[in-house]
Amino acid sequence: MATYTYEHTPDHGAKAGVLAYLATSAAVLLLMMVFGLLMRLEQAQWISIGADRFYELMTLHGAGMVGIAAIAGASVMWHFLRQYVDLSSRIFIANLVLFLAGVVMILGSVLIGHFHGAWTFLFPLPGKSMGMWSPGAAALFMGGLLVIGVGFLLLHLDIARAIVARYGNFARALGWPQLFGHDDGKAPPPTVVASAMVTIVNVIGLVVGASILTMMLVNLYVPGFDIDPLLAKGMIYFFGHIFINATIYMAVIAVYEILPRYTQRPWKSNKVFLASWTASTLMVMFIFPHHLLMDFAFPKWMLVMGHVIGYLNTVPILVVTGYGALMIVYRSGIRWDMASKLLFLSLFGWAAGAMPAFIDGTITVNYVMHNTLWVPGHFHTYLLLGMVTMVFGFMYYLGKPDHEADDRLLDRIAFWLFTSSVLGFTLSFLYSGKESVARRYAAHLPEWVPYDRIGAVFAMLVIASSLLFIVRFFSRIGLARHDYQRAPVARAATA
Amino acid sequence: MTAIAPDRARIRFCALGALYLLLAAPPVRSWLEATMSGHMLVQIPLLAAIGFAACRLLVAHHQERLLAIAGGPIPLVVVALFASSWWMLPRALDDALAHPLVEVAKFVSLPALVGVPLALAWRRLGIIGRGFVWTNFISMLAVLGWLYLAAPQRLCNSYLVDQQESAGWLMVKLALLLFAAWLGHLFVGGPPVGNPRAVHGP
Amino acid sequence: MTSVAHSVAVTALVTVLGSGAFWWGTDGFTAFTAETARRADVLRAPRPLPAAVLEDQDGRVFGIDDYRGRLLAVEFIYTRCTTICNSLGMAFRQIRDRVPADALGRDVALLSISFDPERDDPASLKAYGIAHGADGEHWRLARVRDAAQLRALLEAFGVVVIADRFGGFEHNAAIHLVGRDGRLVEISDLDVPLQFAAKLEEAL
Repeated sequence: MATYTYEHTPDHGAKAGVLAYLATSAAVLLLMMVFGLLMRLEQAQWISIGADRFYELMTLHGAGMVGIAAIAGASVMWHFLRQYVDLSSRIFIANLVLFLAGVVMILGSVLIGHFHGAWTFLFPLPGKSMGMWSPGAAALFMGGLLVIGVGFLLLHLDIARAIVARYGNFARALGWPQLFGHDDGKAPPPTVVASAMVTIVNVIGLVVGASILTMMLVNLYVPGFDIDPLLAKGMIYFFGHIFINATIYMAVIAVYEILPRYTQRPWKSNKVFLASWTASTLMVMFIFPHHLLMDFAFPKWMLVMGHVIGYLNTVPILVVTGYGALMIVYRSGIRWDMASKLLFLSLFGWAAGAMPAFIDGTITVNYVMHNTLWVPGHFHTYLLLGMVTMVFGFMYYLGKPDHEADDRLLDRIAFWLFTSSVLGFTLSFLYSGKESVARRYAAHLPEWVPYDRIGAVFAMLVIASSLLFIVRFFSRIGLARHDYQRAPVARAATA
Repeated sequence: MTAIAPDRARIRFCALGALYLLLAAPPVRSWLEATMSGHMLVQIPLLAAIGFAACRLLVAHHQERLLAIAGGPIPLVVVALFASSWWMLPRALDDALAHPLVEVAKFVSLPALVGVPLALAWRRLGIIGRGFVWTNFISMLAVLGWLYLAAPQRLCNSYLVDQQESAGWLMVKLALLLFAAWLGHLFVGGPPVGNPRAVHGP
Repeated sequence: MTSVAHSVAVTALVTVLGSGAFWWGTDGFTAFTAETARRADVLRAPRPLPAAVLEDQDGRVFGIDDYRGRLLAVEFIYTRCTTICNSLGMAFRQIRDRVPADALGRDVALLSISFDPERDDPASLKAYGIAHGADGEHWRLARVRDAAQLRALLEAFGVVVIADRFGGFEHNAAIHLVGRDGRLVEISDLDVPLQFAAKLEEAL
């Protein structure tokens, strides 16, 4: 059994590019949260914007949130991976530029072209709008997604290049010699393992996504070139599911890197850790059919595969990471501050968010639950209380004035406000789902309105606490660039 | 690239010339051109490959001179891109079969405007540049394959519609295979550089 | 000149030349297949047709030139065809039914030409005509007996016929319009016969 010892690495400041990514994410996050609130308020019948406007907001909210989740996750990954491999700053910036160009195209498509076919651009919807929006608007939306995808593909190709340059190949970057052979304790650090996994699955996902987008763009202008609808749907879900899953696998690097600095204990890349990441590398690519369980036209084997792998993939990384975090913190005398608290909370959020998916992944449950608010309940828990919370933790870590600094009272209040309001907000979704409230706008019964009102109130509190986190980040953005010790020394280490 | 002894180079050059003449020989030509797949996926790539291989047999400083005249690798890649795209047009395939002059142009332009420029540029392209050429090629192959499969009508008057379908499938499969091979090659080879756990500062 | 400027200049030149070549070779990015090219070409420059001796379903011998002064719709078929020729026949029938009765025969005629003269003798042409509703007068069915004449005729129309694996043929199917001056003036899709008929009516 290999031994792992903690090697202290200095806390580096963020490069300007990382801060640009985080600033973009924070700004878009707030805007998209407001859009989300408007949707809640509409369903709570406190405002009246109408179905078309509702779907426009939903399209923007979905596309925008997925986009900034990826951007924020990439900034976490890039910041820490840079300690181990030689990454290109130019390509990192190029990705952000392409992202912003794509965002402008999407905004134009929705706000000017009134496209409101949702970010999942489910075939044949974008093209066949029944006159609700023009082919140009649909093309602009898909073109925007394509531009964003090309940017991320570039970024991942650069990461692949850097990893291969340093570790020789991806088998070594995933720690296969240690996983399948003798564990000599020289497996790559968790950051590299996670980045390698994300790069593999995202490159495959993005290539599939770009292919279906290109095919649909051709089909939009030359309808004679038919697309098999099942193939299209499968490809879209394959791409979309991998891409959104990858965001949390990138963001969790903040946990792997920051918690060890707070406890002066190493995060071990041991056999169990490596096995879980390798297993998920494969499984995350075959899990998407669990969104299609109600779709009887799909081949049965795909649905069975989605069901089985959906169950299996809930476990490995989540359990290994949760257990690892507990072990690292247990009797470490860690000093809790905003960064460490948020990171720890995020693991709870990830676990809590995975549970509803686990339940929904059961075919008999899925038949009645999938088109209800249960599913938004699931992904809001794991993205907001998991993924976004990791990013908030990373922001607090970067902006911490010095390692001895104490949190302000306001921040502490905001932490508990955020925790409780996100729980209240997501529970209002989950409870609505349990009561069979439909996922989308059409046919909203009067007896459902109270849940929407509760959800809307919690959403306002979520926005208020997030606003404070973000204002704090911007006020400390000057500090974030500098190299100095941020993590406090744990009591167990000093004793 | 290491220099090749002149007599070895001459032998290889003759071999390439023989292959070229073989491809140009009427029976082989009509055999390959009888199917769309043979025409698009065997004859055309082989002609480009002959140009590529022949160019690499040139003495290094001649290659450097040509590269300098052309203004570096980028214009050469652009030339190859245009010329190769041209011969992917269904119309160009039909014309090559219908008009001997176009056929001659095909036999000249594929080695001279696709193979040779790529070989010259290849020496100077870095990882990103080569990656661009490969990804561009793979995605063009996949998209073209799908277009051939999904086309509502016959694209080439000279070929049966089922040949169009089989050529389309072959292109899609080839693209998938190349992509899988690229992914696979990331997992093998390459010695690790230094101690993998060691940290170097930014 | 620096090497970067040189590179940019040559790249720009090559891009312009390459785009120009594509523009020229695809008729302004419109015709990517030989079929669209053929149609665009005919529209731009109507083609004279070679003389050919035709024999109709009743064994009467005539030439395309005999139709000078009238508008003539031409399709190419073979009588054993079970696929595309049926659509062609249907389209021809729709066109014929749309032409005003007084103009039919006097100013407009239809002609189905077989490219399989070996097997399509007058009897099978007649049977084919009856099956598709041709009257044998205003809509005649004919074959070209002379192989060289047939080849020249197909070449002029731009029709490519290749044998399939089932003893039949695949051919680019379309409806051809021969003008009053005996030149091929337009080629149109067989799935829009009503547009073709409307054009005929306009030209009356």
